[in-house]
Amino acid sequence: MFYTPVATNGGSRILDEFFVMLETLTPIASLRFSRWSYAAINASHIFSIALVVGGTIPLSLRLFGLWSKVPLAALVGVLSLSAGIGLGLALISGAVLFATRATEYSANPAFQIKMVFVLLGASSAVFAHRRYGWVLELASDRALHRIAFVSCICWIGALASGRLVAFMSD
Amino acid sequence: MRKFVTSFVVVLIVVVHSTSLALAHHGWSWTTGGNISLTGIIKSAQLGNPHGVLKIDADGDVWTAEVGQPWRNERAGLKPDDFAVGVEVRIVGEPSSDINDKVVKAERIYIGTKEYVLYPGRD
Repeated sequence: MFYTPVATNGGSRILDEFFVMLETLTPIASLRFSRWSYAAINASHIFSIALVVGGTIPLSLRLFGLWSKVPLAALVGVLSLSAGIGLGLALISGAVLFATRATEYSANPAFQIKMVFVLLGASSAVFAHRRYGWVLELASDRALHRIAFVSCICWIGALASGRLVAFMSD
Repeated sequence: MRKFVTSFVVVLIVVVHSTSLALAHHGWSWTTGGNISLTGIIKSAQLGNPHGVLKIDADGDVWTAEVGQPWRNERAGLKPDDFAVGVEVRIVGEPSSDINDKVVKAERIYIGTKEYVLYPGRD
């Protein structure tokens, strides 16, 4: 009760009702007022982001041509995997954090921009691995540069706009 | 290759810099450093993590008052019911450095005759 959902993202009513439903779920409502469980989920979201950014940035730099003596295939195998696991964990912890204030976050411009970056970054990664093979063995240098470029923009963009979410509510 | 690295660095600088255009909320860097006292009627309360937000009608001006996280409000002796709509409340805290934002971060809250201290270490 002492949390009346704020209107509104100007979007669909069905979506708004869904967000309100998320906020009122019992575990979500109790998480909103808990101290340590909220902090723990917050921390695990940060941990997941560290895996994503900590994987994609060095990998992108390698794709750009840095550390050219390090075998690309080995590096892609390790860093893509850890970044992918990080992304999965970030989606889970992020969904829970989102649910505690779904109406508010969905209307937050920084959050919306973040979602665009995450969607683009994730689909670019999936597309790259599907098209060029798991360790990108079929990609030309040009393609590798393009993948690295999109990856850097999206994941740094997601991190930065995600941080801005906390500084943006009305 | 050089082009990619250059544009990467440029974008990195732009994106990272944009995060320093912080608008409000965390910490005290966005506030004036001095306290104001704001009295008004609670119009709405969004309590809970990451921190609570009150809308306060102060003589027709609607202010946003940031109150504590649940544990901080609880430590100060505040219960969620204390922030019921229609209650008159006095907030002492630091306003946003742009006064037109009408945002204040509460350090102490007065309801009725009682004082609730959210940040005991701050004046």
